[in-house]
Amino acid sequence: MGRYLATRLASLIPILFGTSVIAFILIRLVPGDPAIAILGMEADASAIATLRQKMALDQPVTVQYFSWLGLILTGDFGRSIQGGRQVLPLLLNALGPTAVLSVAALAISLAIAIPTGIIAAMRPNTGADYSASFLALCGLSMPSFWLGVLLILAFSIHLPLFPASGYVSPFVNLGGHLHHLVLPALTLGAALAAATMRMTRATMLEVLRTDYIRTARAKGLPQRLIIWTHALRNARIPIVTLIGIQFGQLLGGVVITETVFSWPGIGKLTVDAIFARDYPVVQGAVLLTALLFVLINLATDLLYTSLDPRVRLT
Amino acid sequence: MTVAVLMRPKGITNVLRGFTGNPRAAVGLGLVVLAVVVAIGAPIFAPFAPDQLDFINTLAPPSSDHWLGTDELGRDVLSRIIHGARTSLVVGALSVVVAALIGTAAGIVAGYFGKAYDALIMRIMDIVFAFPSILLALAIAAVLGPSLTNAVLAISVVNLPVFARIARAQTLVVRQLEFVEAKRALGFGTFNILSRTILPNIMPPIIVQGSLLFASAIITESYLSFLGLGAQPPLATWGNMLRNAIGFMELAPWLALFPGFAIFITVFGCNLLGDGLRDRFDPRH
Repeated sequence: MGRYLATRLASLIPILFGTSVIAFILIRLVPGDPAIAILGMEADASAIATLRQKMALDQPVTVQYFSWLGLILTGDFGRSIQGGRQVLPLLLNALGPTAVLSVAALAISLAIAIPTGIIAAMRPNTGADYSASFLALCGLSMPSFWLGVLLILAFSIHLPLFPASGYVSPFVNLGGHLHHLVLPALTLGAALAAATMRMTRATMLEVLRTDYIRTARAKGLPQRLIIWTHALRNARIPIVTLIGIQFGQLLGGVVITETVFSWPGIGKLTVDAIFARDYPVVQGAVLLTALLFVLINLATDLLYTSLDPRVRLT
Repeated sequence: MTVAVLMRPKGITNVLRGFTGNPRAAVGLGLVVLAVVVAIGAPIFAPFAPDQLDFINTLAPPSSDHWLGTDELGRDVLSRIIHGARTSLVVGALSVVVAALIGTAAGIVAGYFGKAYDALIMRIMDIVFAFPSILLALAIAAVLGPSLTNAVLAISVVNLPVFARIARAQTLVVRQLEFVEAKRALGFGTFNILSRTILPNIMPPIIVQGSLLFASAIITESYLSFLGLGAQPPLATWGNMLRNAIGFMELAPWLALFPGFAIFITVFGCNLLGDGLRDRFDPRH
Protein backbone atom coordinates (compact mmCIF):
# COMPACT_ATOMS: atom_id res chain seq x y z
CA MET A 1 0.00 0.00 0.00
CA GLY A 2 2.85 2.35 0.91
CA ARG A 3 4.61 1.58 -2.35
CA TYR A 4 1.40 2.10 -4.31
CA LEU A 5 0.82 5.44 -2.58
CA ALA A 6 4.38 6.52 -3.40
CA THR A 7 3.95 5.48 -7.07
CA ARG A 8 0.63 7.28 -7.36
CA LEU A 9 2.04 10.41 -5.72
CA ALA A 10 5.03 10.32 -8.08
CA SER A 11 2.67 10.03 -11.07
CA LEU A 12 0.98 13.20 -9.90
CA ILE A 13 4.16 15.24 -10.36
CA PRO A 14 3.95 15.58 -14.18
CA ILE A 15 0.20 16.21 -13.94
CA LEU A 16 0.65 18.95 -11.36
CA PHE A 17 3.53 20.38 -13.37
CA GLY A 18 1.31 20.43 -16.46
CA THR A 19 -1.62 22.04 -14.65
CA SER A 20 0.69 24.74 -13.33
CA VAL A 21 1.94 25.36 -16.90
CA ILE A 22 -1.65 25.71 -18.15
CA ALA A 23 -2.55 28.07 -15.28
CA PHE A 24 0.62 30.07 -16.06
CA ILE A 25 -0.15 30.21 -19.78
CA LEU A 26 -3.76 31.30 -19.16
CA ILE A 27 -2.76 34.77 -18.09
CA ARG A 28 -0.30 35.04 -20.97
CA LEU A 29 -3.14 34.35 -23.40
CA VAL A 30 -4.87 37.58 -22.42
CA PRO A 31 -4.41 39.94 -25.37
CA GLY A 32 -1.86 42.66 -24.61
CA ASP A 33 0.51 43.12 -21.66
CA PRO A 34 -0.19 40.65 -18.81
CA ALA A 35 0.81 43.27 -16.23
CA ILE A 36 -1.79 45.70 -17.60
CA ALA A 37 -4.31 42.86 -17.82
CA ILE A 38 -3.72 42.12 -14.13
CA LEU A 39 -3.62 45.69 -12.84
CA GLY A 40 -6.17 47.17 -15.22
CA MET A 41 -5.92 49.94 -17.80
CA GLU A 42 -6.15 52.65 -15.14
CA ALA A 43 -3.11 51.47 -13.16
CA ASP A 44 -0.22 53.91 -12.95
CA ALA A 45 2.99 53.31 -14.85
CA SER A 46 5.13 52.67 -11.77
CA ALA A 47 2.79 49.94 -10.47
CA ILE A 48 2.82 48.31 -13.90
CA ALA A 49 6.63 48.51 -14.03
CA THR A 50 6.90 46.95 -10.54
CA LEU A 51 4.58 44.11 -11.49
CA ARG A 52 6.40 43.55 -14.78
CA GLN A 53 9.61 43.19 -12.76
CA LYS A 54 7.94 40.85 -10.23
CA MET A 55 6.53 38.70 -13.03
CA ALA A 56 9.92 38.80 -14.78
CA LEU A 57 8.18 39.82 -18.01
CA ASP A 58 11.45 41.07 -19.49
CA GLN A 59 12.98 37.60 -18.99
CA PRO A 60 12.61 34.47 -21.15
CA VAL A 61 9.34 32.57 -20.66
CA THR A 62 11.00 29.71 -18.75
CA VAL A 63 12.46 32.20 -16.24
CA GLN A 64 9.02 33.82 -15.96
CA TYR A 65 7.41 30.43 -15.29
CA PHE A 66 9.84 29.31 -12.60
CA SER A 67 9.76 32.71 -10.95
CA TRP A 68 5.92 32.48 -10.88
CA LEU A 69 6.05 28.86 -9.66
CA GLY A 70 8.40 29.88 -6.85
CA LEU A 71 5.88 32.44 -5.67
CA ILE A 72 3.00 29.92 -5.92
CA LEU A 73 4.91 27.30 -3.92
CA THR A 74 5.40 29.82 -1.11
CA GLY A 75 1.66 30.53 -1.10
CA ASP A 76 1.94 33.83 -2.94
CA PHE A 77 -0.85 33.65 -5.53
CA GLY A 78 -0.64 37.40 -6.03
CA ARG A 79 -3.18 40.04 -5.09
CA SER A 80 -6.72 40.50 -6.28
CA ILE A 81 -7.23 43.51 -8.53
CA GLN A 82 -10.43 44.26 -6.63
CA GLY A 83 -9.49 45.46 -3.16
CA GLY A 84 -5.91 44.26 -3.38
CA ARG A 85 -6.45 41.30 -1.03
CA GLN A 86 -4.17 38.27 -1.16
CA VAL A 87 -5.65 35.70 -3.55
CA LEU A 88 -4.96 32.55 -1.50
CA PRO A 89 -6.99 33.58 1.59
CA LEU A 90 -9.80 34.69 -0.73
CA LEU A 91 -9.85 31.25 -2.35
CA LEU A 92 -9.61 29.40 0.96
CA ASN A 93 -12.52 31.44 2.39
CA ALA A 94 -14.65 30.53 -0.60
CA LEU A 95 -13.76 26.83 -0.33
CA GLY A 96 -15.89 26.39 2.82
CA PRO A 97 -19.29 27.23 1.23
CA THR A 98 -18.33 25.22 -1.87
CA ALA A 99 -17.42 22.18 0.25
CA VAL A 100 -20.74 22.40 2.15
CA LEU A 101 -22.71 22.69 -1.10
CA SER A 102 -20.78 19.83 -2.74
CA VAL A 103 -21.21 17.45 0.20
CA ALA A 104 -24.93 18.28 0.49
CA ALA A 105 -25.42 17.74 -3.26
CA LEU A 106 -23.55 14.45 -3.13
CA ALA A 107 -25.64 13.28 -0.14
CA ILE A 108 -28.88 14.17 -1.95
CA SER A 109 -27.72 12.42 -5.12
CA LEU A 110 -26.80 9.23 -3.25
CA ALA A 111 -30.09 9.25 -1.32
CA ILE A 112 -31.99 9.39 -4.62
CA ALA A 113 -29.73 7.34 -6.88
CA ILE A 114 -28.73 4.25 -4.89
CA PRO A 115 -32.26 3.07 -3.89
CA THR A 116 -33.67 3.98 -7.32
CA GLY A 117 -30.85 2.20 -9.13
CA ILE A 118 -31.27 -0.90 -6.97
CA ILE A 119 -35.06 -1.00 -7.48
CA ALA A 120 -34.59 -0.61 -11.24
CA ALA A 121 -32.03 -3.44 -11.29
CA MET A 122 -34.23 -5.72 -9.18
CA ARG A 123 -37.12 -5.33 -11.62
CA PRO A 124 -35.44 -5.04 -15.02
CA ASN A 125 -37.60 -4.25 -18.04
CA THR A 126 -40.63 -3.37 -15.91
CA GLY A 127 -42.49 -0.09 -15.53
CA ALA A 128 -40.37 0.82 -12.49
CA ASP A 129 -37.15 0.23 -14.42
CA TYR A 130 -38.30 2.17 -17.48
CA SER A 131 -39.54 5.08 -15.34
CA ALA A 132 -36.28 5.26 -13.37
CA SER A 133 -34.19 5.09 -16.55
CA PHE A 134 -36.34 7.74 -18.24
CA LEU A 135 -36.02 10.07 -15.23
CA ALA A 136 -32.27 9.51 -15.14
CA LEU A 137 -31.96 10.40 -18.81
CA CYS A 138 -34.06 13.53 -18.19
CA GLY A 139 -31.74 14.44 -15.30
CA LEU A 140 -28.68 14.01 -17.51
CA SER A 141 -30.20 16.13 -20.26
CA MET A 142 -31.26 19.02 -18.05
CA PRO A 143 -28.81 21.92 -17.81
CA SER A 144 -28.29 22.57 -14.11
CA PHE A 145 -29.02 26.29 -14.32
CA TRP A 146 -32.40 25.57 -15.90
CA LEU A 147 -33.27 23.13 -13.12
CA GLY A 148 -32.18 25.83 -10.66
CA VAL A 149 -34.46 28.34 -12.37
CA LEU A 150 -37.37 25.86 -12.33
CA LEU A 151 -36.83 25.20 -8.61
CA ILE A 152 -36.74 28.94 -7.91
CA LEU A 153 -39.97 29.41 -9.90
CA ALA A 154 -41.67 26.55 -8.03
CA PHE A 155 -40.34 26.86 -4.48
CA SER A 156 -39.37 30.50 -4.12
CA ILE A 157 -41.87 32.38 -6.30
CA HIS A 158 -45.07 30.28 -6.50
CA LEU A 159 -44.63 28.47 -3.18
CA PRO A 160 -42.37 30.72 -1.13
CA LEU A 161 -40.79 27.91 0.88
CA PHE A 162 -37.09 28.53 0.26
CA PRO A 163 -35.03 31.64 -0.52
CA ALA A 164 -34.13 32.09 -4.18
CA SER A 165 -30.59 33.20 -3.42
CA GLY A 166 -28.18 34.25 -0.73
CA TYR A 167 -26.12 32.68 2.03
CA VAL A 168 -26.15 32.62 5.82
CA SER A 169 -23.05 31.44 7.66
CA PRO A 170 -23.65 28.25 9.67
CA PHE A 171 -21.79 29.86 12.58
CA VAL A 172 -24.33 32.67 12.68
CA ASN A 173 -27.56 30.77 12.08
CA LEU A 174 -27.45 27.05 11.29
CA GLY A 175 -31.18 26.86 10.46
CA GLY A 176 -30.91 29.77 8.05
CA HIS A 177 -27.82 28.21 6.49
CA LEU A 178 -29.62 24.93 5.82
CA HIS A 179 -32.69 26.80 4.56
CA HIS A 180 -30.56 28.59 1.96
CA LEU A 181 -28.74 25.36 1.09
CA VAL A 182 -31.79 23.32 0.02
CA LEU A 183 -32.39 24.63 -3.53
CA PRO A 184 -28.75 24.87 -4.68
CA ALA A 185 -27.98 21.43 -3.23
CA LEU A 186 -31.06 19.93 -4.94
CA THR A 187 -30.07 21.54 -8.24
CA LEU A 188 -26.57 20.19 -8.10
CA GLY A 189 -27.58 16.84 -6.60
CA ALA A 190 -30.22 16.02 -9.22
CA ALA A 191 -27.74 15.97 -12.10
CA LEU A 192 -25.35 13.78 -10.11
CA ALA A 193 -28.18 11.45 -9.12
CA ALA A 194 -28.98 10.72 -12.76
CA ALA A 195 -25.49 9.44 -13.58
CA THR A 196 -25.12 7.55 -10.28
CA MET A 197 -28.52 5.90 -10.71
CA ARG A 198 -27.59 4.63 -14.17
CA MET A 199 -24.28 3.28 -12.90
CA THR A 200 -25.93 1.65 -9.85
CA ARG A 201 -28.55 -0.01 -12.04
CA ALA A 202 -26.02 -1.30 -14.58
CA THR A 203 -23.61 -2.62 -11.94
CA MET A 204 -26.33 -4.18 -9.79
CA LEU A 205 -27.84 -5.89 -12.85
CA GLU A 206 -24.47 -7.48 -13.55
CA VAL A 207 -23.93 -8.53 -9.92
CA LEU A 208 -27.46 -9.90 -9.48
CA ARG A 209 -26.83 -12.34 -12.36
CA THR A 210 -23.73 -13.86 -10.78
CA ASP A 211 -23.55 -17.37 -9.35
CA TYR A 212 -22.99 -16.39 -5.74
CA ILE A 213 -26.20 -14.35 -5.70
CA ARG A 214 -28.04 -17.32 -7.20
CA THR A 215 -26.53 -19.46 -4.43
CA ALA A 216 -27.57 -16.96 -1.77
CA ARG A 217 -31.12 -17.05 -3.15
CA ALA A 218 -31.08 -20.86 -3.23
CA LYS A 219 -30.03 -20.88 0.43
CA GLY A 220 -33.17 -18.90 1.16
CA LEU A 221 -31.50 -15.72 2.36
CA PRO A 222 -33.88 -12.79 2.68
CA GLN A 223 -33.92 -10.46 -0.36
CA ARG A 224 -32.89 -7.46 1.72
CA LEU A 225 -29.77 -9.25 2.96
CA ILE A 226 -28.88 -10.39 -0.55
CA ILE A 227 -29.21 -6.89 -1.97
CA TRP A 228 -27.62 -4.78 0.75
CA THR A 229 -24.97 -7.17 2.04
CA HIS A 230 -23.97 -9.37 -0.88
CA ALA A 231 -24.82 -7.53 -4.08
CA LEU A 232 -24.20 -3.90 -3.17
CA ARG A 233 -20.85 -4.70 -1.56
CA ASN A 234 -19.62 -6.03 -4.88
CA ALA A 235 -21.19 -3.26 -6.91
CA ARG A 236 -19.45 -0.56 -4.92
CA ILE A 237 -16.23 -0.13 -6.91
CA PRO A 238 -17.64 1.33 -10.14
CA ILE A 239 -20.15 3.35 -8.13
CA VAL A 240 -17.41 4.76 -5.90
CA THR A 241 -15.29 5.48 -8.99
CA LEU A 242 -18.14 7.47 -10.47
CA ILE A 243 -18.80 9.29 -7.20
CA GLY A 244 -15.10 10.18 -6.98
CA ILE A 245 -15.14 11.55 -10.53
CA GLN A 246 -18.39 13.38 -9.80
CA PHE A 247 -17.02 14.92 -6.62
CA GLY A 248 -14.19 16.32 -8.68
CA GLN A 249 -16.60 17.48 -11.39
CA LEU A 250 -18.67 19.16 -8.68
CA LEU A 251 -15.84 21.66 -8.35
CA GLY A 252 -16.69 22.71 -11.90
CA GLY A 253 -20.45 22.27 -11.60
CA VAL A 254 -20.67 24.62 -8.65
CA VAL A 255 -19.66 27.48 -10.93
CA ILE A 256 -23.10 27.60 -12.49
CA THR A 257 -25.17 26.69 -9.43
CA GLU A 258 -23.38 29.15 -7.18
CA THR A 259 -23.91 31.88 -9.76
CA VAL A 260 -27.65 31.18 -10.08
CA PHE A 261 -28.17 31.09 -6.29
CA SER A 262 -25.54 33.72 -5.34
CA TRP A 263 -23.79 31.14 -3.14
CA PRO A 264 -20.43 32.66 -2.16
CA GLY A 265 -18.22 29.69 -3.02
CA ILE A 266 -15.24 29.26 -5.27
CA GLY A 267 -17.45 29.02 -8.38
CA LYS A 268 -19.11 32.39 -7.84
CA LEU A 269 -15.76 33.90 -6.87
CA THR A 270 -14.32 32.67 -10.20
CA VAL A 271 -17.23 34.00 -12.27
CA ASP A 272 -17.13 37.37 -10.48
CA ALA A 273 -13.36 37.49 -11.04
CA ILE A 274 -13.84 36.70 -14.74
CA PHE A 275 -16.19 39.66 -15.17
CA ALA A 276 -13.97 41.96 -13.13
CA ARG A 277 -11.00 40.79 -15.27
CA ASP A 278 -9.39 39.85 -11.95
CA TYR A 279 -6.93 37.45 -13.61
CA PRO A 280 -4.86 36.57 -10.51
CA VAL A 281 -8.04 35.26 -8.85
CA VAL A 282 -9.07 33.36 -12.02
CA GLN A 283 -5.60 31.86 -12.29
CA GLY A 284 -5.51 30.93 -8.59
CA ALA A 285 -8.99 29.39 -8.74
CA VAL A 286 -8.12 27.29 -11.79
CA LEU A 287 -4.89 26.07 -10.19
CA LEU A 288 -6.45 25.30 -6.80
CA THR A 289 -9.43 23.54 -8.34
CA ALA A 290 -7.21 21.39 -10.57
CA LEU A 291 -5.09 20.48 -7.52
CA LEU A 292 -8.18 19.47 -5.54
CA PHE A 293 -9.53 17.54 -8.54
CA VAL A 294 -6.30 15.54 -8.83
CA LEU A 295 -6.20 14.85 -5.07
CA ILE A 296 -9.84 13.70 -5.05
CA ASN A 297 -9.08 11.29 -7.89
CA LEU A 298 -6.12 9.97 -5.90
CA ALA A 299 -8.33 9.53 -2.81
CA THR A 300 -10.85 7.61 -4.94
CA ASP A 301 -8.10 5.27 -6.15
CA LEU A 302 -6.95 4.68 -2.60
CA LEU A 303 -10.49 3.90 -1.45
CA TYR A 304 -10.53 0.84 -3.71
CA THR A 305 -8.17 -1.06 -1.44
CA SER A 306 -10.51 -0.87 1.50
CA LEU A 307 -13.63 -1.55 -0.58
CA ASP A 308 -12.47 -4.57 -2.52
CA PRO A 309 -9.73 -6.89 -1.26
CA ARG A 310 -9.52 -8.42 -4.75
CA VAL A 311 -7.84 -5.27 -5.94
CA ARG A 312 -4.19 -5.89 -5.32
CA LEU A 313 -2.37 -2.59 -5.18
CA THR A 314 1.33 -3.16 -4.88
CA MET B 1 -7.98 -9.39 -53.31
CA THR B 2 -8.55 -11.20 -50.03
CA VAL B 3 -6.67 -8.46 -48.25
CA ALA B 4 -8.78 -5.80 -49.93
CA VAL B 5 -11.99 -7.49 -48.77
CA LEU B 6 -10.71 -7.85 -45.23
CA MET B 7 -9.65 -4.24 -45.14
CA ARG B 8 -12.94 -2.84 -46.32
CA PRO B 9 -14.01 -0.35 -43.67
CA LYS B 10 -17.15 -1.54 -41.90
CA GLY B 11 -17.33 1.16 -39.23
CA ILE B 12 -19.74 3.61 -40.87
CA THR B 13 -22.03 0.86 -42.19
CA ASN B 14 -22.18 -0.57 -38.69
CA VAL B 15 -23.14 2.81 -37.28
CA LEU B 16 -25.96 3.23 -39.79
CA ARG B 17 -27.22 -0.27 -39.04
CA GLY B 18 -27.45 0.80 -35.39
CA PHE B 19 -30.63 2.75 -36.11
CA THR B 20 -32.63 -0.18 -37.39
CA GLY B 21 -34.22 -2.26 -34.68
CA ASN B 22 -33.26 0.26 -32.00
CA PRO B 23 -36.22 2.50 -31.20
CA ARG B 24 -34.32 4.61 -28.67
CA ALA B 25 -31.61 5.48 -31.17
CA ALA B 26 -34.28 6.14 -33.80
CA VAL B 27 -36.23 8.51 -31.50
CA GLY B 28 -32.98 10.24 -30.55
CA LEU B 29 -32.01 10.59 -34.19
CA GLY B 30 -35.50 11.95 -34.94
CA LEU B 31 -35.17 14.65 -32.26
CA VAL B 32 -31.68 15.61 -33.40
CA VAL B 33 -32.76 15.75 -37.06
CA LEU B 34 -35.75 17.89 -36.06
CA ALA B 35 -33.47 20.33 -34.23
CA VAL B 36 -31.12 20.46 -37.23
CA VAL B 37 -34.00 21.05 -39.66
CA VAL B 38 -35.38 23.83 -37.44
CA ALA B 39 -31.94 25.40 -37.21
CA ILE B 40 -31.30 25.25 -40.96
CA GLY B 41 -34.76 26.52 -41.85
CA ALA B 42 -34.86 29.15 -39.08
CA PRO B 43 -35.76 32.06 -41.38
CA ILE B 44 -38.65 30.01 -42.81
CA PHE B 45 -39.99 28.57 -39.56
CA ALA B 46 -39.60 31.64 -37.33
CA PRO B 47 -42.75 33.80 -37.43
CA PHE B 48 -40.74 36.99 -36.71
CA ALA B 49 -37.18 38.18 -37.10
CA PRO B 50 -35.27 37.27 -33.90
CA ASP B 51 -34.31 40.90 -33.22
CA GLN B 52 -37.60 42.51 -34.24
CA LEU B 53 -38.55 44.91 -31.45
CA ASP B 54 -42.16 45.58 -30.44
CA PHE B 55 -42.37 48.01 -27.52
CA ILE B 56 -46.17 47.74 -27.36
CA ASN B 57 -45.99 44.00 -26.66
CA THR B 58 -43.17 43.77 -24.11
CA LEU B 59 -43.26 40.77 -21.74
CA ALA B 60 -46.47 39.55 -23.37
CA PRO B 61 -47.52 36.05 -22.21
CA PRO B 62 -47.95 33.24 -24.74
CA SER B 63 -50.83 34.02 -27.11
CA SER B 64 -52.03 33.22 -30.63
CA ASP B 65 -49.83 36.08 -31.95
CA HIS B 66 -46.76 35.11 -30.00
CA TRP B 67 -46.99 31.40 -29.22
CA LEU B 68 -44.26 31.49 -26.58
CA GLY B 69 -44.69 35.12 -25.53
CA THR B 70 -42.32 38.06 -25.91
CA ASP B 71 -39.33 39.34 -23.96
CA GLU B 72 -38.66 42.71 -22.31
CA LEU B 73 -38.00 44.30 -25.72
CA GLY B 74 -41.07 42.76 -27.31
CA ARG B 75 -39.03 40.22 -29.31
CA ASP B 76 -40.84 36.99 -30.13
CA VAL B 77 -39.52 34.19 -27.88
CA LEU B 78 -40.34 31.39 -30.35
CA SER B 79 -38.45 33.12 -33.15
CA ARG B 80 -35.45 33.66 -30.90
CA ILE B 81 -35.50 30.02 -29.78
CA ILE B 82 -35.63 28.86 -33.41
CA HIS B 83 -32.73 31.11 -34.37
CA GLY B 84 -30.93 30.19 -31.13
CA ALA B 85 -30.96 26.58 -32.30
CA ARG B 86 -28.50 27.59 -35.01
CA THR B 87 -25.95 28.94 -32.55
CA SER B 88 -26.27 26.06 -30.12
CA LEU B 89 -26.08 23.36 -32.77
CA VAL B 90 -23.28 25.02 -34.71
CA VAL B 91 -21.16 25.52 -31.59
CA GLY B 92 -21.97 22.00 -30.37
CA ALA B 93 -21.21 20.37 -33.73
CA LEU B 94 -18.09 22.40 -34.52
CA SER B 95 -16.57 21.89 -31.10
CA VAL B 96 -17.16 18.13 -31.25
CA VAL B 97 -15.81 17.88 -34.81
CA VAL B 98 -12.68 19.88 -33.94
CA ALA B 99 -12.13 17.83 -30.76
CA ALA B 100 -12.81 14.57 -32.62
CA LEU B 101 -10.42 15.39 -35.48
CA ILE B 102 -7.52 16.45 -33.28
CA GLY B 103 -8.21 14.03 -30.42
CA THR B 104 -8.67 11.02 -32.71
CA ALA B 105 -5.55 11.85 -34.71
CA ALA B 106 -3.56 12.22 -31.48
CA GLY B 107 -4.99 8.98 -30.07
CA ILE B 108 -4.21 7.01 -33.24
CA VAL B 109 -0.63 8.29 -33.31
CA ALA B 110 -0.21 7.48 -29.60
CA GLY B 111 -1.69 4.01 -29.98
CA TYR B 112 0.01 3.06 -33.24
CA PHE B 113 3.52 4.36 -32.63
CA GLY B 114 3.56 3.89 -28.84
CA LYS B 115 6.67 4.62 -26.76
CA ALA B 116 7.65 8.29 -26.57
CA TYR B 117 4.73 9.42 -28.79
CA ASP B 118 2.28 7.61 -26.55
CA ALA B 119 3.84 8.92 -23.34
CA LEU B 120 3.99 12.53 -24.52
CA ILE B 121 0.52 12.70 -26.09
CA MET B 122 -1.29 10.90 -23.30
CA ARG B 123 0.43 12.92 -20.54
CA ILE B 124 -0.75 16.11 -22.27
CA MET B 125 -4.27 14.66 -22.40
CA ASP B 126 -4.04 13.67 -18.72
CA ILE B 127 -3.13 17.24 -17.86
CA VAL B 128 -6.12 18.66 -19.75
CA PHE B 129 -8.25 16.00 -18.05
CA ALA B 130 -7.00 17.18 -14.66
CA PHE B 131 -9.21 20.26 -14.90
CA PRO B 132 -12.96 20.18 -14.30
CA SER B 133 -14.22 20.66 -17.85
CA ILE B 134 -16.63 23.55 -17.22
CA LEU B 135 -14.04 25.49 -15.28
CA LEU B 136 -11.40 25.03 -17.98
CA ALA B 137 -13.85 26.05 -20.72
CA LEU B 138 -14.82 29.11 -18.67
CA ALA B 139 -11.22 30.08 -18.04
CA ILE B 140 -10.28 29.73 -21.74
CA ALA B 141 -13.35 31.66 -22.89
CA ALA B 142 -12.72 34.33 -20.26
CA VAL B 143 -9.07 34.79 -21.17
CA LEU B 144 -9.60 34.78 -24.95
CA GLY B 145 -12.67 37.00 -24.68
CA PRO B 146 -16.36 36.23 -25.13
CA SER B 147 -17.16 35.17 -28.71
CA LEU B 148 -18.61 32.30 -30.67
CA THR B 149 -15.21 31.21 -32.00
CA ASN B 150 -13.62 31.20 -28.56
CA ALA B 151 -16.54 29.22 -27.18
CA VAL B 152 -15.94 26.57 -29.87
CA LEU B 153 -12.24 26.57 -29.06
CA ALA B 154 -12.83 26.29 -25.30
CA ILE B 155 -15.31 23.41 -25.63
CA SER B 156 -13.06 21.62 -28.13
CA VAL B 157 -10.08 21.74 -25.80
CA VAL B 158 -11.96 20.20 -22.87
CA ASN B 159 -13.29 17.38 -25.08
CA LEU B 160 -9.95 16.51 -26.72
CA PRO B 161 -8.76 13.97 -24.12
CA VAL B 162 -11.97 11.93 -24.36
CA PHE B 163 -11.49 11.27 -28.08
CA ALA B 164 -7.74 10.76 -27.69
CA ARG B 165 -8.23 8.10 -25.01
CA ILE B 166 -10.86 6.19 -26.97
CA ALA B 167 -8.90 6.37 -30.24
CA ARG B 168 -5.71 5.21 -28.52
CA ALA B 169 -7.41 2.27 -26.81
CA GLN B 170 -9.10 1.16 -30.02
CA THR B 171 -5.91 1.58 -32.08
CA LEU B 172 -4.00 -0.62 -29.63
CA VAL B 173 -6.47 -3.41 -30.40
CA VAL B 174 -6.82 -2.89 -34.16
CA ARG B 175 -3.10 -2.51 -34.96
CA GLN B 176 -2.51 -6.13 -33.93
CA LEU B 177 -5.18 -7.58 -36.21
CA GLU B 178 -4.22 -9.63 -39.23
CA PHE B 179 -5.44 -7.24 -41.90
CA VAL B 180 -3.21 -4.48 -40.53
CA GLU B 181 -0.27 -6.89 -40.50
CA ALA B 182 -1.18 -7.84 -44.08
CA LYS B 183 -1.10 -4.23 -45.25
CA ARG B 184 2.24 -3.70 -43.56
CA ALA B 185 3.59 -6.84 -45.24
CA LEU B 186 2.31 -5.61 -48.61
CA GLY B 187 4.32 -2.43 -48.14
CA PHE B 188 1.54 0.10 -47.71
CA GLY B 189 2.69 3.41 -46.24
CA THR B 190 2.06 4.33 -42.61
CA PHE B 191 -0.31 7.18 -43.49
CA ASN B 192 -2.32 4.85 -45.71
CA ILE B 193 -2.58 2.25 -42.94
CA LEU B 194 -3.59 4.85 -40.34
CA SER B 195 -6.15 6.65 -42.48
CA ARG B 196 -7.60 3.80 -44.57
CA THR B 197 -7.41 0.85 -42.22
CA ILE B 198 -7.08 1.90 -38.59
CA LEU B 199 -9.37 4.94 -38.71
CA PRO B 200 -12.45 3.29 -40.29
CA ASN B 201 -12.18 0.39 -37.88
CA ILE B 202 -12.13 2.54 -34.75
CA MET B 203 -14.97 4.81 -35.87
CA PRO B 204 -18.03 3.28 -34.11
CA PRO B 205 -16.97 4.15 -30.53
CA ILE B 206 -15.75 7.56 -31.72
CA ILE B 207 -19.15 8.29 -33.29
CA VAL B 208 -21.02 7.04 -30.20
CA GLN B 209 -18.86 9.25 -27.98
CA GLY B 210 -19.29 12.12 -30.42
CA SER B 211 -23.07 11.98 -30.11
CA LEU B 212 -22.83 11.98 -26.30
CA LEU B 213 -20.28 14.80 -26.30
CA PHE B 214 -22.44 16.76 -28.76
CA ALA B 215 -25.07 16.77 -26.00
CA SER B 216 -22.61 17.93 -23.38
CA ALA B 217 -21.15 20.53 -25.79
CA ILE B 218 -24.63 22.05 -26.24
CA ILE B 219 -24.97 22.25 -22.45
CA THR B 220 -21.48 23.74 -22.05
CA GLU B 221 -22.24 26.33 -24.75
CA SER B 222 -25.42 27.23 -22.90
CA TYR B 223 -23.40 27.61 -19.67
CA LEU B 224 -20.92 29.91 -21.40
CA SER B 225 -23.72 31.97 -22.97
CA PHE B 226 -25.62 32.01 -19.67
CA LEU B 227 -22.55 33.48 -17.99
CA GLY B 228 -22.05 35.97 -20.83
CA LEU B 229 -18.95 34.24 -22.22
CA GLY B 230 -20.45 32.72 -25.37
CA ALA B 231 -21.99 34.39 -28.41
CA GLN B 232 -22.81 37.99 -27.64
CA PRO B 233 -26.20 39.76 -27.96
CA PRO B 234 -28.05 40.60 -30.11
CA LEU B 235 -27.30 37.09 -31.46
CA ALA B 236 -29.88 34.82 -29.85
CA THR B 237 -28.64 31.75 -28.01
CA TRP B 238 -30.59 29.58 -25.62
CA GLY B 239 -28.09 30.34 -22.87
CA ASN B 240 -28.17 34.12 -23.20
CA MET B 241 -32.00 34.02 -23.40
CA LEU B 242 -32.00 32.27 -20.03
CA ARG B 243 -29.48 34.75 -18.66
CA ASN B 244 -31.86 37.52 -19.70
CA ALA B 245 -34.83 35.71 -18.16
CA ILE B 246 -33.37 35.67 -14.64
CA GLY B 247 -34.36 39.30 -14.08
CA PHE B 248 -37.99 38.67 -15.07
CA MET B 249 -38.77 35.37 -13.38
CA GLU B 250 -41.75 36.70 -11.40
CA LEU B 251 -43.15 38.84 -14.21
CA ALA B 252 -42.51 36.57 -17.18
CA PRO B 253 -41.68 32.97 -16.23
CA TRP B 254 -42.10 31.84 -19.87
CA LEU B 255 -38.82 33.58 -20.68
CA ALA B 256 -37.05 31.04 -18.50
CA LEU B 257 -39.19 28.01 -19.30
CA PHE B 258 -39.05 27.74 -23.08
CA PRO B 259 -35.34 28.29 -23.92
CA GLY B 260 -34.45 25.81 -21.15
CA PHE B 261 -36.88 23.30 -22.60
CA ALA B 262 -35.29 23.75 -26.03
CA ILE B 263 -31.87 22.87 -24.57
CA PHE B 264 -33.37 19.97 -22.63
CA ILE B 265 -35.18 18.34 -25.54
CA THR B 266 -32.21 18.67 -27.91
CA VAL B 267 -29.78 17.25 -25.37
CA PHE B 268 -32.31 14.54 -24.51
CA GLY B 269 -32.39 13.54 -28.20
CA CYS B 270 -28.58 13.43 -28.39
CA ASN B 271 -28.37 11.33 -25.24
CA LEU B 272 -31.02 8.91 -26.51
CA LEU B 273 -29.13 8.62 -29.79
CA GLY B 274 -25.81 8.09 -28.00
CA ASP B 275 -27.31 5.54 -25.59
CA GLY B 276 -28.98 3.66 -28.42
CA LEU B 277 -25.79 3.53 -30.45
CA ARG B 278 -23.81 2.43 -27.41
CA ASP B 279 -26.32 -0.38 -26.79
CA ARG B 280 -25.72 -1.46 -30.36
CA PHE B 281 -21.94 -1.36 -30.33
CA ASP B 282 -20.84 -1.98 -26.76
CA PRO B 283 -21.47 -5.60 -25.73
CA ARG B 284 -21.34 -4.59 -22.07
CA HIS B 285 -24.56 -2.57 -22.43
